[in-house]
Amino acid sequence: MSCPRPENLYLYLEGELGPYDARKIEEHVDCCPACRDALAERRLLHEAFTTLPPFEVPAGFARSVMDSLPEPEVRKAGWLSPLVAAMTALAVGLLGFRIFTGQSVFDVLVAVNSFFGSVIAFATPLAAKTLKLGNVLLEVAGDLLTMGFAGLETFARLLGPGGIILVIGLGSLLSLLAFFGARRYLRQGEQS
Amino acid sequence: MNTRGQDALSMTEDRKLVSRALKGDRKAFEMIVRKYEQPLTSYLGRMTGEREAALDFAQEIFLKAYCSLASYRPDFKFSTWLFKIASNHLIDHWRKKKLPTVSIDQPFDDDEGPLMPQVADPGPSVARRFELAEIREKIERALASVPETLRELFVLRHVNEFSYEEIADIKGLPVGTVKNRVFQAKELLRKRMEGS
Repeated sequence: MSCPRPENLYLYLEGELGPYDARKIEEHVDCCPACRDALAERRLLHEAFTTLPPFEVPAGFARSVMDSLPEPEVRKAGWLSPLVAAMTALAVGLLGFRIFTGQSVFDVLVAVNSFFGSVIAFATPLAAKTLKLGNVLLEVAGDLLTMGFAGLETFARLLGPGGIILVIGLGSLLSLLAFFGARRYLRQGEQS
Repeated sequence: MNTRGQDALSMTEDRKLVSRALKGDRKAFEMIVRKYEQPLTSYLGRMTGEREAALDFAQEIFLKAYCSLASYRPDFKFSTWLFKIASNHLIDHWRKKKLPTVSIDQPFDDDEGPLMPQVADPGPSVARRFELAEIREKIERALASVPETLRELFVLRHVNEFSYEEIADIKGLPVGTVKNRVFQAKELLRKRMEGS
């Protein structure tokens, strides 16, 4: 084996070579005095490299670092942002109204108040009347349904069981005729 | 416990501390500072050559880390993330000071020719001439003359004890390039010591 590259001598000392390459170096060093000396020299240097003393840090260093850090941001309450946004929007609206119409802000407030008052005055009786009408319609629908069921009951009693079967049979026959008739009518329409 | 086990434990501990710090627990961040103040200052000290500058930089880097803590992804090691910030901070500092920087693709030439992998030379042993402590002193002195691009990788590897893969991650370089540059730094140090 030829002499190993110095790079590999360092990697060998650091344990970075695989077992095969490490074994090859060991075998070579056993029979090559020059490489044995080179390895011994690099071993001493490697030992010195890996035992360089750490820099001393003053005792209060961590404390001074902590003192230099900014305070963590205090998160604002969730309800505050929408409220501030609404107040800002109102202020901007009032200011815009004042600029474009020339009226005072108090006039605007009075107008807004009067607008909401008239809306409520108009909407309240309308809502009450709608509710009352809805109630009457529901009552009428209920009465009609009751009358319909009572009529059916009387009719069934008059017909008896045989009559009911006859009516159901006739009804089914008429339904089938209507179904097939409609189908034929639609087919004729498609062909024409 | 083996190194890998210690690494995993340290990663879990870091993740917990970061999570607590993100919730506003300043004590947790202080624990992070205490854990990393020495490795970070050792790295910065070797890179700047001045203790006071190293401490100032360390403070600025911890501040940067604190302000961008939300961007830390727990899949990665916190130490790697922190040293990436530190390395970028140094690069910015050098750019501002317009210190000559060496291109990552440029070969590093020494007075005695380019540093290329070579066959072990049978010349007089440098190591034999010094005791270990003396060698360390020589290394510290010689380190200041090593180009910062090489010096940084050497410090990350041997002072901060990062693996080659972690250094590759910090610097955004291929692992092979990192290995080669750490070797170049060591050989350059050896040659400078030999000349002293």
